[in-house]
Amino acid sequence: MDGLVTTAIIGLSLGVEYALLSLGFTLIFGILGVINFAHGGFYMIGGYAAYAAVHFAGMPFPAAVATAMLVTALLGYVCELLLIDRYVSDHLTPMMITLGLYLIISTALIVVFGPEPADFSFPIRGSLRSGGIYITYANLIVLLVCATVIAAVYLLMYRTDFGLALRAMADNREVATALGMRPAQYFPLAFGLATGLAGLTGALVTPTLTLSPFLGDSILGMSFLIVILGGLGSLGGAVIASFIVGIVEAYSRVYLGGSKGALALFVVVLIILVVRPNGLMGRIGRPA
Amino acid sequence: MPTSDRSRPGGGRQDRNVLAVCDMAKAFGGLKVFNGISFRIEPGEVLGVIGPNGAGKTTLINVICGMLRPSSGTIQFDGGNIGGRSFHAVSRLGIVRSFQQTITFRTASVRENLTRAIRFSGSGGVAWAQIGELLDAFGLGPMLDEPSDSLPYGSQKILGLLMAYAANPKMLLLDEPAAGLESRERTRIDRLVLHAREHLGCGILIVEHDMDLIRRLCPRLIVLEAGGVLAQGAPEEVLARSDVIQAYLGQSEDEADRDAATRRTARAAH
Repeated sequence: MDGLVTTAIIGLSLGVEYALLSLGFTLIFGILGVINFAHGGFYMIGGYAAYAAVHFAGMPFPAAVATAMLVTALLGYVCELLLIDRYVSDHLTPMMITLGLYLIISTALIVVFGPEPADFSFPIRGSLRSGGIYITYANLIVLLVCATVIAAVYLLMYRTDFGLALRAMADNREVATALGMRPAQYFPLAFGLATGLAGLTGALVTPTLTLSPFLGDSILGMSFLIVILGGLGSLGGAVIASFIVGIVEAYSRVYLGGSKGALALFVVVLIILVVRPNGLMGRIGRPA
Repeated sequence: MPTSDRSRPGGGRQDRNVLAVCDMAKAFGGLKVFNGISFRIEPGEVLGVIGPNGAGKTTLINVICGMLRPSSGTIQFDGGNIGGRSFHAVSRLGIVRSFQQTITFRTASVRENLTRAIRFSGSGGVAWAQIGELLDAFGLGPMLDEPSDSLPYGSQKILGLLMAYAANPKMLLLDEPAAGLESRERTRIDRLVLHAREHLGCGILIVEHDMDLIRRLCPRLIVLEAGGVLAQGAPEEVLARSDVIQAYLGQSEDEADRDAATRRTARAAH
């Protein structure tokens, strides 16, 4: 019984991390119609920026995480403005650009930090044990911060004029423009917000797992899986899918182990997609 | 080719919220859609635009609203040249267009669609009470919280037009507002247009195939044909002209379609 509960907690904390990671991915797709292949790259930049801030600039960990988020957000903003913006209405070109961007990012990280995993660990050790339930303080803190940021993103998207504008852009760019909204003003901001979230996730999560310049592929793969499961472009769908993936992953790893665990995840995802081909909250087609 | 001699480029105080298209030409590569057309719409005036399929009626709206750049000539609004300015910039000046298809924010509720239209408009939008009256008249009042894509087609189309209205336009460009609507629903267009003219005082350009609607709403009419203005004036005069009947009314829709297609092919071949 305790094992079941502890595994559920692991699943929840995985889920909340995945949710923060995939929110940015689905945001970019929903608003710009762009699939950001560099998403995993920004996650790694977040991790390495926090690492550099702690080890080379001597910053305390929370400040390093905030710095990492700002750096990745700014980088995303600039990349959108300089590289992606003029090709946004095209679907293939931004894909090639972000793929190229990802190769540049991962190679640059290898050149600067070396191919070995960086020695970057969470500053708080120890774990909470209560009545047989077990969670490390690091995971608990990450869980709380991620949940807070997800709530903040929700408020930003659904309770502010900025969010109203972004959602209008995501729903129908043509009508939004007809009503006087300027795409050029919102696209770089949306992209920066999304990469900032990826960077924040990287800065928070890599010290609890591992920080290496080869993480990007699996991070991108996971974001893809979650966003497709949740329904492309849907924020709520991405969050729900993240929890499903987190819980399934935790239970299957604990009770099935290794490769069977990974297999179980894909089986669950496949079954859901057979029943709902557009994902959990996906809609048929997408307004142009 | 009759052109309006009343359009004065760079005019001053008399041009408040006046749309003046002056000798405007538009070509896509070698394909000329307009070779110099001129007309003027005063505030509170409703101008009908008709013409056979392929005459460039939608292109005309696309050029005015900034989705396309004119190849030459000027488009003046409120005394300034807006030709070639971007779509969103033109709409922030208060020139708001509707689309031929129903285009709304599909996933958003009726209420949110209208809220967005009000919130993002350059002029601050109209007051809710003002739309409320129209919403009730069109039977949309009880559907405020329904997602817009769950409404019947006619209601979605009306919602699209209401959004243009809610943006509090100074000039309203309607692209076939009645297309796809039942005749009962078409009277709603009349109500909306008259309401906009009376309460917003804006000029209104209506591109439409429904001649009854044009006769009811438009004291003045221009006929586009072969890249120019074939005729303009009061509907009863214009629609009685033999060249207009020849170009447009004498043909069934199918014939007009076929002719337009042939014309397009012929032009494209040049």
